[in-house]
Amino acid sequence: VGCDRSKNLVDICGEKHFQAFVCDALSVPIRSGSCDACISIAVIHHFSTAERRLATIRELARLLRPGGTALIYVWAMEQEYKNQKSKYLKEKNGSKNKEKEMNTGTAQRPLNDQGPDNCSQDSAWSNQLLNDFKDESCGAMPVADFRLPVHTNRTSFHSQDLLVPWHLKGCTKKKKESIDTVVVPGGSKELQELSPVFHRYYHVFSEGELEAVCRSLDCVKVQKSYYDQGNWCVILEKL
Amino acid sequence: MKLLTHNLLSSHVPGLRPGGGFPLRIELGRPSELPPEPSPGYEADEEFLRRLHHVLLEVEVLEGSLQCPDSGRRFPISRGVPNLLLSEDEA
Repeated sequence: VGCDRSKNLVDICGEKHFQAFVCDALSVPIRSGSCDACISIAVIHHFSTAERRLATIRELARLLRPGGTALIYVWAMEQEYKNQKSKYLKEKNGSKNKEKEMNTGTAQRPLNDQGPDNCSQDSAWSNQLLNDFKDESCGAMPVADFRLPVHTNRTSFHSQDLLVPWHLKGCTKKKKESIDTVVVPGGSKELQELSPVFHRYYHVFSEGELEAVCRSLDCVKVQKSYYDQGNWCVILEKL
Repeated sequence: MKLLTHNLLSSHVPGLRPGGGFPLRIELGRPSELPPEPSPGYEADEEFLRRLHHVLLEVEVLEGSLQCPDSGRRFPISRGVPNLLLSEDEA
């Protein structure tokens, strides 16, 4: 059984006749201790505070029966490890026009027909005020003008907390032009539209970070901890 | 949503008593095709097992809802997909 917070994505699973439902990773509507195994792939790195990331792992552990195991994959800060670049970085060297952009955090085998064409992005600082990311529950100091860097796809990470651009599929090379009508040879007019770019929040994990978060829970034991193609991974066992 | 999937699901409305969210009541137009309880020795009853297998794994709820037994809160099922997201105020 699968679940995701995006109804549209889960509907696609339904169309393919997979068993799936819509829910939030912080509150999974499954009975405690009813799973032999769970996987959480490229999910936890979307949560914006350490507290929430820990809470998702705790929730994952709740679902497991004693002896059950969980596999967690999160995007690594270190996209080059032991002198090997991850596939995410390597694929920058391909033809720019045909490059596919990874939408998920896991830079594994390229997804067929997934993702929009890669178009140039700016490595700019976002001026968004991140009121949503203030963790109100801990009554901490208000974070005023906190800016998240906007990542340039297929490059190394310079910050652990960042926004990664995602271009909606169907854009053409001309998408960077403005919404003015453009006269092309032959007299016909074409409306060039700006293709929407979405900025998705990521907290990329540093070496040992995922393992440390898991070790802070006493209901699970870390069985294995490793690096795989730009991801930090753990296998947990419910005690 | 197969019945087997339904078997794993539990309402997660905050503030329920332990176990108060399970089982979610399936709301449909059709009555159940199975007896409420398995009769003793059902493991050997081929015909019963076939019907059980059919209902668990071969019947899918496409449209309907799941109702939390304690709170009464309904979760919709559409195109075979249950949506168990709580709203901002509920969570």
